[in-house]
Amino acid sequence: MEQLVILLLTLPLLAGLVNQLFSKTLGYGAAKLSVSAAVVTFGVALLLLAKIFSSDDTAQVALMDGWGILLADPLSSLMAVLITGISLIVRIYSVRYMVEEAGYGRFFMLLDFMTASLLLMVTSGDLITLVVAWHFVGVVLYFLLGFDTKSPVASRYALWTLITYRIGDMALVLAAVLLYHAFGTWSLAEIFAEITANPGQHHYFGMAVEEAVGLLLALAAFARSAQLFLHTWLPYTMDGPSPVSALMHAGIVNAGGFLINRFAPIFVQTESVMHLLFAMGLVTAIIGSVLMLTQNDIKKALGYSTMGQMGFMIMECGVGAFSLAIYHLIAHGLFKGTLFLGAGSVINEARQHDGVPKQDLYTFVVERRTAKRRQPWLVMAGITLAVPIIILFMAHWLVAQDFFQKQGAIVLLFFGWITGAQLLFNTYRMDVQNVWRLVGMIIFSFALVILGYVLISHAFDVFLYPDPAFRTEIYSAAHIDVFWFDVLVVLTTAIIVAGWVFTYYSDTNRLKVGERFNHLWISFYALVSREFYLSDLYAWLTRALLKASARLNVLLRWR
Amino acid sequence: MSEILLIVAGLFLPLFPLSMVFNGLFNRLGNRSLRIALLLVWPQIGLAIAYSVGIEIPIWIICWALLTAILYGFRALVLREVSLWASFMATSVWAVLWLAIGVNDASLSELVFFALGISVPVVLLLLLSGELETRFGAAYTGLYNGLAQALPRLCWLIVVVVLAIIATPLFPAFSALMTAMLNIADDSFVLALMLAVAWFIWGWAGARLIQGLLIGSDSKVSAADMSAGRAWSYVAVLAVLIISGVSMLGGLA
Repeated sequence: MEQLVILLLTLPLLAGLVNQLFSKTLGYGAAKLSVSAAVVTFGVALLLLAKIFSSDDTAQVALMDGWGILLADPLSSLMAVLITGISLIVRIYSVRYMVEEAGYGRFFMLLDFMTASLLLMVTSGDLITLVVAWHFVGVVLYFLLGFDTKSPVASRYALWTLITYRIGDMALVLAAVLLYHAFGTWSLAEIFAEITANPGQHHYFGMAVEEAVGLLLALAAFARSAQLFLHTWLPYTMDGPSPVSALMHAGIVNAGGFLINRFAPIFVQTESVMHLLFAMGLVTAIIGSVLMLTQNDIKKALGYSTMGQMGFMIMECGVGAFSLAIYHLIAHGLFKGTLFLGAGSVINEARQHDGVPKQDLYTFVVERRTAKRRQPWLVMAGITLAVPIIILFMAHWLVAQDFFQKQGAIVLLFFGWITGAQLLFNTYRMDVQNVWRLVGMIIFSFALVILGYVLISHAFDVFLYPDPAFRTEIYSAAHIDVFWFDVLVVLTTAIIVAGWVFTYYSDTNRLKVGERFNHLWISFYALVSREFYLSDLYAWLTRALLKASARLNVLLRWR
Repeated sequence: MSEILLIVAGLFLPLFPLSMVFNGLFNRLGNRSLRIALLLVWPQIGLAIAYSVGIEIPIWIICWALLTAILYGFRALVLREVSLWASFMATSVWAVLWLAIGVNDASLSELVFFALGISVPVVLLLLLSGELETRFGAAYTGLYNGLAQALPRLCWLIVVVVLAIIATPLFPAFSALMTAMLNIADDSFVLALMLAVAWFIWGWAGARLIQGLLIGSDSKVSAADMSAGRAWSYVAVLAVLIISGVSMLGGLA
């Protein structure tokens, strides 16, 4: 197993070095070398995963004295398969996509180094290696995003990304230093063993080390995974090559979820950090989704969609569903990578055809043409509210009978219910030949998705966290006072139901309600379309700082 | 007495406004060799004085050093002349040495090693700025955009050297930063945060310099790129720096 981990890192690193040193000699052969290395690396990652899956064993290898530790465990092997798989697809796609670009060999060299950095990050078994790999991912991404050296715009947003990532780097370095101070070792295994055996033993300026480190790690994860206030780089980095966008949205941006899972033994000992994760994730998910809906540029819309999905991923961590977050990031990585790689063809197609599908769904959603004859609303309301919750309960009951004792599970159940109900609520007035067939198909699809999601996430749970007591501990760490939990659930339900009632009311009395709320709606839309002025604020702040720097230099006569 | 000696050391391990002496001198020296000598020797004098005092560095000096690091990093953000940028960054990163003095009973030779690890990349940048001056008469950002396409070899070296200066992991400056961070995190989180902020600003300043030189639409540059042999000599020095940085990181463990 040790040899496999070393091989996993060495292959892309060597391919990158050879591409860098012999780029002129290799010419277009750079791509062949890179793809070949990626195929073998993917094979090695699969083999490693299979070995860990079959033996339930973990291994670690130290390349240096006290640091340079590489870890082969369920989390690292799973992430390695995702990284190598996506980077292989991206490379194959790039072979022809980048062929007319200057710096063809350089591009593949950067992809190789990025893969190596990501693999080093997920296999890091000590804090120094993790910090180094974490930082390198940001640096290599900067050069990949600014690959087109003729484009000042691409370069500008690559800089935004670097700066945001640097905020996360600062937090991670501080967390690493605090952990070293408390436990006197860089080894993650030793730190986690000590924390598990004696939690809350070390304090830092009156605060438990676990709490302080948890907060810093959360900040590092927020910066890497584009959470609110640290998200502005994500939708703007579309001037980089499409394969880079695919790699970034499918692999790199997910690092926040990985980091939280890697430090799970610390997060379970925290008091408030999990709630912070939940709150930040929730707000990011909502704002990311709202911003996505207002974009008219497909790639920017995909960027905000990623922001929303990252919000969900962090929120899942916040309710204690750590392994679900890993499943989410893998699923999101695969579908978002596909979308980005296909975006170019879609745009090209749209230039030739209007792309408007003459379907019932389009006329209903976009043109708002509803059915003239409606089904009894009481029956439909009953189906809307009852069916999703029955499916959800049944699916969860299948995997764990005590499921409902976990608050985090209830929250996820609640979200699933809202999603299912919303879907039925939105479609029951569609103008289709057979509405019952449509409802039946929706319910079937919903049941399939939920069942798949629950079963797979349960499998992930057992694979990543084999100890049932630890799994319970993670959920317990996310608990809040039962009274406040109930209050929040009731309040959220009330808000959502009120929203449904309002939508129904405004639809049936469109004119009156529309007039009354029109100006508010337009103001809100303006705010959203300017992305809440956050990018403007940051740009203004940057300009002010640079101006201050220039004034200071004049004042001090450049000395 | 010892505090006076430390302030004298602050002239060489620059503390603002004493740092203005170094930067003024650096600007005055027209000869590149003298500038290189200054970069290599200046912090060593400071280290020798500070080390000879033999007392723990007072917290007010640590604070002062960190403010100096932040100030010079911040001022480097808008600099366009490459050699001036190099001297400001040297001032900023050298300040970290104050935080490394006294850590884990570090010997003077270890500190000398740290200082060299920080100064050598700055020297390399100065030499590379000389390459630009030879070709274009001046080494300014924004003066000739898009060098990356015209002089790929030279630009690649500039990028890596800048990464070494701004304390990118594996280079000695990062090891010095981590050593300093470990030393002060015990005393105050605010000080550790200040150091992290300085590191953040270095990254920003470095990226702005790289962009100013390398990025842009078609350059009308017709100068020849650096020869392969010459480039390899720089690569050799950079490799030594990485090996030193890695071994310094090992010293932390």
